[in-house]
Amino acid sequence: MDEAVIVGAEMVAGHDGTLELLVRLRHPNGAEGPVVLDEETGLRLMQNCGATHVDDLAGQSWRRILEGS
Amino acid sequence: MFDVIVRNGLVVDGSGQPGFHGDVAVKDGKIAAVGRFEGEARHVVDAGGRVIAPGFIDPHTHFDVQLLWDGAARPALEHGVTCVVPGNCSLSLAPLKAADRPRLIGMFQQIEEMPPEAFTTAFEWTWEDFAGYREAIEKALSINVAPLVGHSVIRLWVMGPAAQERAATPAEIASMQCLLRECLDAGAVGLSTSFVDVDETGRPVPSRFAQFEELDALSAVLGEYGRMLQCVPEFYATDITIARIDQLAELSLKHNIPTTFSPLFDTSAVPDNAPRAIARVEEQFARGARVWPQMQTRPIDISFSLLRPSLFFARLPRWVRVLRQPVAQRLESLRDPDTVAKMVADTGPDGGEAMMGRLVLRGGDAAPAALAGKTLSEIAKARGEAPALALIELSLEHGLDVAFLSASQGHQSTDRIGPMLAHPLVHIGASDGGAHLASFSTYGDTGYLFSEFVRKGGHMSLEQAVAKITGETADIWGLKDRGRLMPGLAADIVVFDPDTIDREAELPSFDMPGDGMRYVRAARGIDTVLVNGEVAYADGAYTEARSGVVCT
Repeated sequence: MDEAVIVGAEMVAGHDGTLELLVRLRHPNGAEGPVVLDEETGLRLMQNCGATHVDDLAGQSWRRILEGS
Repeated sequence: MFDVIVRNGLVVDGSGQPGFHGDVAVKDGKIAAVGRFEGEARHVVDAGGRVIAPGFIDPHTHFDVQLLWDGAARPALEHGVTCVVPGNCSLSLAPLKAADRPRLIGMFQQIEEMPPEAFTTAFEWTWEDFAGYREAIEKALSINVAPLVGHSVIRLWVMGPAAQERAATPAEIASMQCLLRECLDAGAVGLSTSFVDVDETGRPVPSRFAQFEELDALSAVLGEYGRMLQCVPEFYATDITIARIDQLAELSLKHNIPTTFSPLFDTSAVPDNAPRAIARVEEQFARGARVWPQMQTRPIDISFSLLRPSLFFARLPRWVRVLRQPVAQRLESLRDPDTVAKMVADTGPDGGEAMMGRLVLRGGDAAPAALAGKTLSEIAKARGEAPALALIELSLEHGLDVAFLSASQGHQSTDRIGPMLAHPLVHIGASDGGAHLASFSTYGDTGYLFSEFVRKGGHMSLEQAVAKITGETADIWGLKDRGRLMPGLAADIVVFDPDTIDREAELPSFDMPGDGMRYVRAARGIDTVLVNGEVAYADGAYTEARSGVVCT
């Protein structure tokens, strides 16, 4: 693995009263960390990945987050 | 002869010590006596069966604009709040050159969601410097104000448009230091900065372009005055938040200043977020630093409408496809019986009852006011439709401008949050009063503290809860004559019923300039509020008192 990969995702309540998609990335050095996506970006990621559930995002490249942005 | 005596209540004095039955007397705006004493007063408040406490202090608000036409910061005062701290998150209304007003308005509209009329018709913009802003709000204050000055506006004053483009030069940093001194001399209680906020175009606010050297130099000025540095860290990422805690600790130790960061949320998605941050705070306090995490009491509610796609529908790909269409096509799809039938079928054999039935129609938009507060399940039954169909049809009937609320979706676990709020190093705050106007109500967090964490959860005593939002807050912020019922201190007093104090349901209110809408919550269980010795709120109504001050 030479780039970050999505290892999990969860819907979370955002500070501003909207839902956000918290995507957990595993980096090439093994470290894991979250990235919080706004609604539009989160929905676009799910569509890009053909995901019907947030669990379906696991295994996808982090680059899918950027597609169509 | 006293001016006021509040008689026969349970005196909870803000120290955290056990309450005792007694009276509180007021003379010349100050507390004159506490306990049992002789004497008469021109005005007597009967507090039988009630608590007599210091007025509550709200340390994280954005009332900067509202205070120019509403000196009570309604409805904050009726919740027992007698002192608010505006100017958080790097944004204040001064110092600000006239030419920079449009730029700052955009930033404020992004955070506060104020209607444009708030800036064009609601007040006369008479000032540029901090002293001028203070003079403008002091004319009719019913509530006390302890204002922060924003790092972003200080940058904007010194650097102009470059404030949102680059790091500052040494000369510019020196100018910012001089300007900050002016503001502190004019009554600012500290400096706010942000590593998170954006303007209306999504561009980072000016404070985010500062390098650490700049914040260090400004903190040195705060050190000359012993004043607060408030910061919004990258609260969505625990590791970065901890790095910011460490930075704040270094600034606190180096310059001998208090620092505070907000918000700190508990979330099931990252369950170790708040505990790890609090553990780091404990380590830094053990070193002698002062880094106060602010945690709000209220849970986070989520709302959405069909005007734009929401992650609420993420598990329904067909809904997402329809809602991500341009509005005209979206309307066409939502009017197509076949598409709608499939969408409803996607929500399950119960027509969306389990998935959507508990959604609450918010009101304040194009929806009929009579439906506000009702669940989608109730509305669907009345219409004889499945909940998912009712959501679509109701939205179509009102141009899609119908908002639905899913309550308590974040920061909602009382059993987890209660002990954190009771932690001696956790600062109860982050209400955001006066901000997010069109998204949710930011009022009533103090009432919720008592109803949820004292009465229901039992996570802290009445006396501890009062101390958390009065005496301890005053100590953290260096507000020397506030926060306690002690002779000689300012007579900010709230009389409340400990058995009923709470926040009421969230409702839309069209009381912003230009009939602008905001969500508010009324108070429950608050009898009387005195500000600097004058009754500012009693028997469910505001008085004509204008006894609020800029307090330092």
